[in-house]
Amino acid sequence: MIELALHLVVLIKVVPDGKEVFVDPVTFTLNRSMATNIINPADENALEAALQIKDQTDAKVTVMTMAPPFAEPFLMECMSRGADEAVLISDRAVAGSDTYPTSLTVAAAIKKMGDVDIVFAGEKTSDSSTGHVGPGVAEFIGAELASYSRKVTYENGYVTAERELENGIEEVRIPTPAVVTILTDSNDPRRATLRKKIDAMKRGIITWSLADINIPADWVGLRSSPTVVKKMLPFPRKDRKGEKIEKEKIPELIDNLVKSGVIRVEAE
Amino acid sequence: MSEFDAIVVGGGPAGSSAAMRLASAGHNVLLVEKADPPGSKNVSGGVLWGNDLEAVIPDWQKTAPVERYVKAKGVGFLTKDSNIGLEFRSSLFDKNRAGHMVLRAKLDQWLVKKAKDMGAMVASGITVDRVAFDKGKAIGVEQDGDLITSDCVILAEGANPRVAIDSGLREPLNDKDVAIGVKEVIKLSEKTVNERFNLRDKEGFAGEYVLGFLPDQVEAGGFLYTNKETISAGVVISMKHLRENDRTYSFDIIEQFLEHPAIAPLVDGGSVEEYSAHMVQEGGIERVPKLFGNGYMIAGDAAGFSFSNGLVLQGMNYAIASGIAAADTLIEAKKGNGVSEESLAGYRKRLLDSYVLKDLYNFRGIDEVTWGKLPHRAIPNALEHIMKGLFIEQGVPKKHLYQLMTEALGESGIRTSDAVLEGYRMLRRM
Ligand SMILES: Cc1cc2nc3c(=O)[nH]c(=O)nc-3n(C[C@H](O)[C@H](O)[C@H](O)COP(=O)(O)OP(=O)(O)OC[C@H]3O[C@@H](n4cnc5c(N)ncnc54)[C@H](O)[C@@H]3O)c2cc1C
Ligand SMILES: Cc1cc2nc3c(=O)[nH]c(=O)nc-3n(C[C@H](O)[C@H](O)[C@H](O)COP(=O)(O)OP(=O)(O)OC[C@H]3O[C@@H](n4cnc5c(N)ncnc54)[C@H](O)[C@@H]3O)c2cc1C
Repeated sequence: MIELALHLVVLIKVVPDGKEVFVDPVTFTLNRSMATNIINPADENALEAALQIKDQTDAKVTVMTMAPPFAEPFLMECMSRGADEAVLISDRAVAGSDTYPTSLTVAAAIKKMGDVDIVFAGEKTSDSSTGHVGPGVAEFIGAELASYSRKVTYENGYVTAERELENGIEEVRIPTPAVVTILTDSNDPRRATLRKKIDAMKRGIITWSLADINIPADWVGLRSSPTVVKKMLPFPRKDRKGEKIEKEKIPELIDNLVKSGVIRVEAE
Repeated sequence: MSEFDAIVVGGGPAGSSAAMRLASAGHNVLLVEKADPPGSKNVSGGVLWGNDLEAVIPDWQKTAPVERYVKAKGVGFLTKDSNIGLEFRSSLFDKNRAGHMVLRAKLDQWLVKKAKDMGAMVASGITVDRVAFDKGKAIGVEQDGDLITSDCVILAEGANPRVAIDSGLREPLNDKDVAIGVKEVIKLSEKTVNERFNLRDKEGFAGEYVLGFLPDQVEAGGFLYTNKETISAGVVISMKHLRENDRTYSFDIIEQFLEHPAIAPLVDGGSVEEYSAHMVQEGGIERVPKLFGNGYMIAGDAAGFSFSNGLVLQGMNYAIASGIAAADTLIEAKKGNGVSEESLAGYRKRLLDSYVLKDLYNFRGIDEVTWGKLPHRAIPNALEHIMKGLFIEQGVPKKHLYQLMTEALGESGIRTSDAVLEGYRMLRRM
C-alpha cells in the first residue's frame, strides 16, 4: 500500500432526526419511536471539512463511529461522498456509555491507527448536545484542540482553523496531531456519487470490538459512566393563534405585522 | 471488460424486476435508484394487477407487502348531485386474486431489497445523468462526471424519462402524451374501512369515477382504493386541460372529488397521511420510442408502457413484465454472441408476443375516446336523467324507459347523431 501524506479521521454519530423527536409529556423521556435516523448534522459538515483538505492535499479520510451495526449504512454514505475507509466500533459492552467512555473508546481506536494527523468532530450532536466528545478525544490522545471551527486548512504540519466566537472570528494555528470540532452549517456537504458508492460497497466497513482496541469491557458502558440524566422537560408549548386570512385582508395583515414590529417595510 | 453485465437505471417495478431476473441468473448487475429509500417518491393508485411478479418471486402473493386484494370493483359516473355506479363484487375474486392494493413506498423498498438479496448491487440515492456511448454502442452510464461501464444498460426510469431524452434515445414528451395524477393517502382505521366499504379481512374495494361535474369543461377521472387502514384517493387530469385552463389546479380537483356528496362520507374524518403528484403516460402505442439499440433497452413507463381506458389505470404490471422481458433478452444475448443491436432485438419480439405490446396495439387511439365530452359530460348527465325518471317519484305519469333514454340523449349536452357515432367508436376501441 502507498503511504499517504495525511491521515484524517472524521467522527460521526447517528442520531434520530430532530424534527421527529419529542419529549413524552408523561414520562419526560425522549420519544424517538417515530423518528428516522440521520447523520448528526454537524458531522456532515465535519466530513465535508475533511474532504476539502483531501481535495487539496494527498490524504486518506477515515470515518468512524461507536455504535450498534445499524450505523453501517451511514458509514457507507460517508464513503459514497468521498471517505476512503470506515470503522465501526461495535461492542455490546459500550451500551449506555456517556461522553467519558465514548471519548475514551474513540481515542483508543485513533491511537490504534497510529498515524492520525487531524481528527474532525461535530461541534455537538442534535440529540444530547453535550459537545464533550471532540474535546474529550483531544485530551485522551494528547492533541491540540480547535473548537467551534467553521473553516479548516492544513499546511506543513499545522492546522489553521477559523473559530466562530460570540463576538467575532478567531484564527488559530495549531500543530498536528490536532482535533477540530466543526460548526453545524459551516459548509455545504457534497453529495454521494455512483463511482464512490460502488467502490464503498466493494470495500465494505471495518468493524472493531473493544478487544481490537485493547479496552477492557468494565471501562465502558452504563456502570462506568459518571453522568446520570435525572429528568427531561419539554419546552412550554406556545400555541399559535391559527387565524385564517382571506385574500382581501392581506394588506391589512401586513399593516398589523408592521405595527406589531414583526416585519419592517423598507423603500427600495 | 465492463465493470457490470448490466446497469439498471430506476428501482421501480420495472427496474427491480429486471435486476432480480438478471441477478438470480448469476449476472453481475448494478441497480441505481434516485430515491433513498427506494420508492419514497413513487406513486401509483395502486392496484397491482396480474401475476407477473411470480416469475421473479414465486411466493409473492404470500410475502409481498400488499394491503388488500380486490374483492369488489366499482365504476361510477359523478354529476353534481349523483353517483350512477356499477359494482362488480364477486366471490370469483376470492379464488383468482387478480388485483392487490399496494402502497409504493413499501412495495418498492421490498422489491429492491429482494433484488439485493438475489445478488444485485444496489446504489440508492443516486441520480444517473446519461447513457454513455462509444462508437454508437451504449457502454455504461455517466454520473457526476464519472463513467461506470456495463455490457448493457436497461433504462427503467419511469414516466419522466430524463436519461433517455438527454441521451437522445427518445423524444421529449408532449402535453398530449401525459396526464397528471394527484393522490392522497387518507388514514382511517381498519374497522372503519371495512364498515364503509362493506369488506372483511383482506377484502378490498377498487373504484374508478368519471368526474362529470367539474367546471370549465375540465376532464378528469378519480379513484378510490382501500388499503388495510387507509384509503388511496386521487384524480388523473389530462395535462392539456391543465395547461388550457389557468383556473384549474390539480389540488383543487382532488378536493372537489373528495367533497362530492357520494365520496365525502367514505373519507369523512380521515387524516391525510401522504400527498403526492406524479406523471402518467397516456401517449399509447404511437408514442412508444425505439425500445432497444446497441447496448440498451427501455422498459416500463419510460417506454410508455401503461394502459388507461378511463376506468382502469395500469402500469405496474407492464413495468414488471417488460423488465423481465429485457432481462431475459440480455441473458439470452450473453449466452449467444454477446450484446449487440441484433441480439437485443429479441426484446421487442418478446413484448409483441406478450400482452404488453398486444394491449397497446389493440387499444390504439383509446385516449381519443376516453377523454372527451361523451364520457365526461354526456354519459353522466344522460344516466342521471334516466335514474331520476325511474326512481324519483314526481307525482306525474310514469314514462317508458325508451322515452327516458331518448330524452336523456337530449339532456346529454351533445348532438344525438354525434353521441351515437362517438358511442360506437368508444365501444369499438374499448
Ligand atoms: C437525552 C440524552 C441526554 C444525555 N446527556 C448526557 C450528559 O449530560 N452527559 C453525558 O456524558 N452523556 C449524556 N448522554 C449520553 C451521550 O449521548 C453519549 O455519551 C454520546 O455517545 C456522546 O454524547 P453527545 O451525543 O452529547 O456527543 P457530543 O459530544 O455532543 O458530540 C460531539 C461530536 O463527537 C462525535 N461523537 C459523538 N458521539 C460519537 C460516537 N458514539 N462515535 C463517534 N463519534 C462520536 C461526533 O463528531 C459529534 O458531533 C445523553 C444521552 C441522551 C440520549
Ligand atoms: C396517480 C397514479 C395512479 C396509478 N395507478 C395505478 C394502478 O392502480 N395500477 C397500476 O398498475 N399502475 C398505476 N399507475 C401507473 C404506475 O404507477 C406506473 O406505470 C409504474 O410505476 C411504472 O413503473 P416503472 O418501474 O416503469 O416506473 P416508476 O415506478 O416510476 O419507477 C422509476 C424509478 O426510477 C427512478 N429514477 C428516475 N430517474 C432516475 C435516474 N436518472 N437515476 C436513477 N433513478 C431514477 C425513480 O426514482 C423511480 O423509482 C398509476 C400512476 C399514477 C401516477
